[in-house]
Amino acid sequence: MLRFLGKRLLQVIPILILVSIFIFLFVHMIPGDPARLVAGEDATIEDVELVRKELGLDKPITEQYVTYMKNLFRGDFGTSLKTNRSVSYEIGERFMPTFWLTVWSMLWAVAAGLLIGVISATKRNKWQDYLGMFGAVSGLSLPSFWLGLMLIQLFAVTLGWLPSGGMDSWKSYILPAFTLGTGVAAVVARFTRSSLMDVLKEDYIRTGRSKGLNERRITWGHGLRNAMIPVVTMTGLQFGFLLGGSVVIESVFSWPGLGKLLIDSVAYRDYPVIQGEMLIFALEFILINLVVDLLYGILNPQIRYE
Amino acid sequence: MKKTVGWLSALAMVLVLMLAGCSDSGKEGSTAEKGGDGKKAVKEGKDLTIAVADNFTTLDPHDTNDTLSNSAEKTMMEGLLGFDEKMNVVPLLAEEYEASDDATEFTFKLREGVKFHDGTPFNAEAVKVNFDRLADPDSGLKRHSLFALIQSTEVLSDYEVKFTLSEPFGAMINTFAHPAALIHSPKALEEYGKDVGKHPVGTGPFKFVEWKPSEGLKIEKNPDYWKKGYPKVDAITFKPVSENGSRIAMLQTGEADFIYPVPTEQVEGVNGKNGVEVDSEPSIVVRYMAMNTMKEPYNDVKVRQALNYAINKDAFLKVVMNGQGEKLDSVIAPDVQFYSQQELYEFDLEKAKELLKEAGVKEGLKAKLWGGNSSSTVKAMEFLQQQLAAVGITVEVVPMESGTLSDKIWSVQNPEDAELELYYGGWSPSTGDADWGIRPLVGGKEAFPPNSYNVSYYDNEEVNKLISAGLQTADENARADAYEKAQKLIWDDAPWVFLSADNTLAGKKNYLKGVYLLPDGSLSVSEAEIE
Repeated sequence: MLRFLGKRLLQVIPILILVSIFIFLFVHMIPGDPARLVAGEDATIEDVELVRKELGLDKPITEQYVTYMKNLFRGDFGTSLKTNRSVSYEIGERFMPTFWLTVWSMLWAVAAGLLIGVISATKRNKWQDYLGMFGAVSGLSLPSFWLGLMLIQLFAVTLGWLPSGGMDSWKSYILPAFTLGTGVAAVVARFTRSSLMDVLKEDYIRTGRSKGLNERRITWGHGLRNAMIPVVTMTGLQFGFLLGGSVVIESVFSWPGLGKLLIDSVAYRDYPVIQGEMLIFALEFILINLVVDLLYGILNPQIRYE
Repeated sequence: MKKTVGWLSALAMVLVLMLAGCSDSGKEGSTAEKGGDGKKAVKEGKDLTIAVADNFTTLDPHDTNDTLSNSAEKTMMEGLLGFDEKMNVVPLLAEEYEASDDATEFTFKLREGVKFHDGTPFNAEAVKVNFDRLADPDSGLKRHSLFALIQSTEVLSDYEVKFTLSEPFGAMINTFAHPAALIHSPKALEEYGKDVGKHPVGTGPFKFVEWKPSEGLKIEKNPDYWKKGYPKVDAITFKPVSENGSRIAMLQTGEADFIYPVPTEQVEGVNGKNGVEVDSEPSIVVRYMAMNTMKEPYNDVKVRQALNYAINKDAFLKVVMNGQGEKLDSVIAPDVQFYSQQELYEFDLEKAKELLKEAGVKEGLKAKLWGGNSSSTVKAMEFLQQQLAAVGITVEVVPMESGTLSDKIWSVQNPEDAELELYYGGWSPSTGDADWGIRPLVGGKEAFPPNSYNVSYYDNEEVNKLISAGLQTADENARADAYEKAQKLIWDDAPWVFLSADNTLAGKKNYLKGVYLLPDGSLSVSEAEIE
């Protein structure tokens, strides 16, 4: 187990190096001149060249890459071309808000999704199932942009219970977390339902029933536990995606998150910030996958780590 | 089991309520609209919140090229000169100024008894430190080029300073009034160096408190402000809110007292309700469609004029700008200095067709129209496409992401190779002077990409001469004369289809006075007052 962990963590390093090379090449391949974009529309050519020199973009690309990698190994992601602040600062500023929003969204979404999924699976083709799946399909198909604005209209403008945006108190989390989690809850509900329905058809469930176990124990204990593997996989992926930040949610609720930072950086061709963010995202996904793999073992002790 | 069913029905109830709530709120909104009101909203305290569309990039005016950051800087720092609400130059930290006739020497008499927020006295030495920084090409500042002409800054006495330029530049007074020329405390410059953008210290009505790039900027009243009785509010918080709908919601809930911009299509919906007022004022932003005058058939002035006649500008204003603007009747907007009104190309399809025929353009001319990819830009381009179809020109609209577009425009080294045919764009001359509204855009070869923004590749000897004549002197009358002639020539040559001059749009609670947008789109809060 520990060996497995150690091995997996060691694998992270070559993956990140590969990722960093690809990202560096990709961002430099997108058309668009950062010096021109940073200097602004009404800049003269002198301004642009000045900015280019200031940002070190006049150096050959190989030299830029070597500098970038050298700094990276020292844990220095570089400086934002647009704002002149360090990339670690820019990302650090927005990482925790994104992280907590993701956590709260995932918490309620997984809880609600599991509940709806289990009820739908056990009450198959009854009204509870229809209602649950109606909710899930609605949750999936409501554009979060629209949902967010509607919630603001209702809870902030009309009722005045919650703030319309920003990140000032715990109340600020409610609307964005609800909006962000809706889609996830819907997906979790649908996965749980179909997976649990398959499991409930298995022989050992029948055995359990014939042993006289009560239905609740069969569903929640034996059934759900075995049905969780695909759900956990999918939840892990969703968690990773949400950690990347959501431009829509961040724009609608003025949330200081990573999604908007990435979009803005791409618009300005702010290479160091794009590179830094992509590396963080890659790292997040690797770690989440690792956690998911470990969870498999807890859910099904037959799974062995080698 | 009962429990779960109970939970479920509760959930269902919530869902139903929520949906009902949504449709309800819609209805309520509309009744409130009918109720109209004109009610006075009430404000407690003297702390303002202003919601803006983006994050500030820096608080160092010398290194700023976006109007939004300039707006924030202007709350804390002041220049020798500034602009009033009509873009007229007014004295701020200077009391008087004088220019030599050949526009190479500018002398300022400074206001006495002013102190920076850190207690440093404001004097000629402080001015010199700032302009030496701006004029230094090695400083790497984004606004260096505006002040590159300054050869020397001399301290004549404690409160008198003289600038000498390396060549005549008649538009220099407006450049001194530009937000890039705001003055830092010399002590802060020394202490923070390049980091001064995070620690702004000026002489302005407000003092810096805190700035978190993603969350906003807090400033507070400067109790020792030199202008007695100001500021009249205690503190201001700027919050970046990028989504239009959310910004408006903040104004409606009172979470914000002032927001900008308000999208043109929302003006009708919010004005006069919930104690909200929308201010719509003329700006100096011009909208145009440039034609590449080196390319056939746009090298023929008849074709360019024909296109001007072919576009219905009233419809453009109505459809694209939702009525928030004016028809553009020169190459610069009315609030730009030395603007001179021209006779409109009135919408006339017959005349357009006739001119095209005279120029030998056959039916079925194909053209590519480039522009940005924001929804409003695409809407404008589609409108132009539709209008030009009526005179038999088939336009392909090519919206591009900003980086790609700028590459396409500025990677051209040889004007003959330019692919650009038609380009829809906008321009705001941030110095408010005719020079900056004309020279970068239609100022001959010097302004061809990649040097500047002359995407029409317009090069008229006579216009070029007039442009430089306008810079050779500081004499207002001589300058006005030169620009008047230049504008007439440009108008007749029609390197653009002249479309509109935008309005600035800001929303505010009706208890708020003295906060307004200048025609250059920057914000003024120094006279903010709550009624």
